[in-house]
Amino acid sequence: MFQDRLLLWKFKTGSQDAFCRIYEKYVNDLLTLAANLLADGSSAEDVVQDVFISFVKSADKFYLTGSLKGYLATCVANRARDYIRDNKRRQTVRRGETERIAPEPQSPVQLVIRSEELEKLGCAMTRLPYEQREVVVLHLHSALRFRQIARLQNVSVKTVQSRYRYGLDKLRSILNGEVEK
Amino acid sequence: MSPAESIEKLIKKLRYQANTETHQRILGNVLQTLDESEKEKTGAAAPNIRSIIMKSPITKLAVAAVIIVAVIVGVTQLIGPVNVTSVALADVLERIEQAQAYMYKTKMSTTGTVMPGMPAREMEMEGTATISNEYGMKMEMTMVDANSGEKTIQQMYMIPNDKVMVMVLPAQKKYIRMEFTEDLLARMKKQNNEPREMVKQIMSCNYIELGRSKIDGIEVQGFETTDPRVMAGMAQHVKLTLWVDAATWLPVRQQMDIQVNEQMQMHGIVYDYQWNIQASPDAFKPVIPEDFTAFPAGGMKMPEMNEEAAIEGLRMFAELTGKYPKNLSLLTLMQELSQELVGKLKDSQSPASEQLRQAFKQAQSEDEKAKKLVDMMKPVQSIGMFYMTLMQDKKEPAYYGEKVSPGEVGSVLLRWKISDNQYRVIFGDLTAADVTAEELSELEKALLK
Repeated sequence: MFQDRLLLWKFKTGSQDAFCRIYEKYVNDLLTLAANLLADGSSAEDVVQDVFISFVKSADKFYLTGSLKGYLATCVANRARDYIRDNKRRQTVRRGETERIAPEPQSPVQLVIRSEELEKLGCAMTRLPYEQREVVVLHLHSALRFRQIARLQNVSVKTVQSRYRYGLDKLRSILNGEVEK
Repeated sequence: MSPAESIEKLIKKLRYQANTETHQRILGNVLQTLDESEKEKTGAAAPNIRSIIMKSPITKLAVAAVIIVAVIVGVTQLIGPVNVTSVALADVLERIEQAQAYMYKTKMSTTGTVMPGMPAREMEMEGTATISNEYGMKMEMTMVDANSGEKTIQQMYMIPNDKVMVMVLPAQKKYIRMEFTEDLLARMKKQNNEPREMVKQIMSCNYIELGRSKIDGIEVQGFETTDPRVMAGMAQHVKLTLWVDAATWLPVRQQMDIQVNEQMQMHGIVYDYQWNIQASPDAFKPVIPEDFTAFPAGGMKMPEMNEEAAIEGLRMFAELTGKYPKNLSLLTLMQELSQELVGKLKDSQSPASEQLRQAFKQAQSEDEKAKKLVDMMKPVQSIGMFYMTLMQDKKEPAYYGEKVSPGEVGSVLLRWKISDNQYRVIFGDLTAADVTAEELSELEKALLK
């Protein structure tokens, strides 16, 4: 967090290098978040690019009170919602320039199994109601607390906790026991 | 592992990663926006100047320090040799000059735009000054912003023996150490401080005797001047009133009503004098706690007050704003510069504007920005201080900033007398030459046409 504040301060005082470091540090997390929210790689790129553009335009006007990662994740979530509302696109996963990658495989067999699992999980995510999906990915990928998500969604913390629980239950139900136990 | 933990773990592994080309495209687009944004910000650097001044009390005080010294020098300077026309005032002067050390209290209220870059507001200042012929001057001041109620306490020390002025700013835990130039020091040594110089000023100008009155039960004799020369051209309208004890001929009260320009007025009184006090040298040594830091780190120097510095100041003003200042009165000049910078710096393509924008961009802290601003203002302050010395030395200065544009060859921008039949002229192209009175007359006639 201190490093982020330092980078942000350097960026605000004119260091482009500092911005590049912020970008490199968070772009993949944000792409993951956006892609999981939008279920579309190309749209995710658009959203993340929009968020970074907005960030560089307004960086000197805002004062960071929490984590930079949390701030950027919240921006992506907001922008993703706007994107969905504005474009009304079908939320289908499209493979293109952005591709889902599996974690480092432990063995060639696991690679196949994990890839299949992730493929199914990715598809299952798209079938979650948007509010539940948003809670799940913001909590698990961006490490936002339920309180922060509640503020973002303008609902109570209990509602967010419920959405999270229902979301995971539904994912398990969709995957129908194929997830590793 | 529970099913919930298992699925959470799996979701965390559901990651996306863009390929290199996509990264390059996104980053390229963002950096392009950043470049465009930087250009806009650079162009809009002018409002930042207001922001720097407003956000940084230290800048206000650093700028104020220069102005305070200028005002003190202006107030304490003789306007030429005293022509003693009043036996009464000569007696007053003699009595004051016998005092080796004395104290007084002062109250000053200021309305309008007090400092460049600040909005119009009302300031109240109360202070106690101790003056010693041997050790210098110490003044403790409390300033209250009437609009916000914000109170600022500061101590100011003027130590001619060390050639410095020190301002201690407890709220900021900082101090400003300002070195005097030899020229300024010589002027300060030549003269002393209030209130004797005010007497000399009144004596050197047209004044009237107000007759007898009573203040706090003491019978007093009044003197008053509204002669425009009294503040060495630093104000549009001035009324100075001095009340002296009719028995001892020592001042009891002074009043000052000063209209610096359309934007700024000052009203002040000096009272509660204590004459011939015992002055200890320790009382004039600045008390700076160990955790206070210097602003700027290397100290400050008062602006130079010579022709070369004035030309440099005029050049900088013209490069930053595209024109010469309307008026060379120090405070008005600073206000005009501030207004012009806020309004025009963003559009100016001049090297000076670009240099200033770059300086702000490269500054790593608010203090550094503040120092850049103070440094930038210094050459411009030089013009005002140089003009003040010309007025004080009765060199018949005349300035035509509203009639002459930058680069105009042969047009008199500023002139002053250097001998009976010789004048020094700075022209619109910022060259300088000596001319005879006849030549000057022709040049000025051409200018007025």
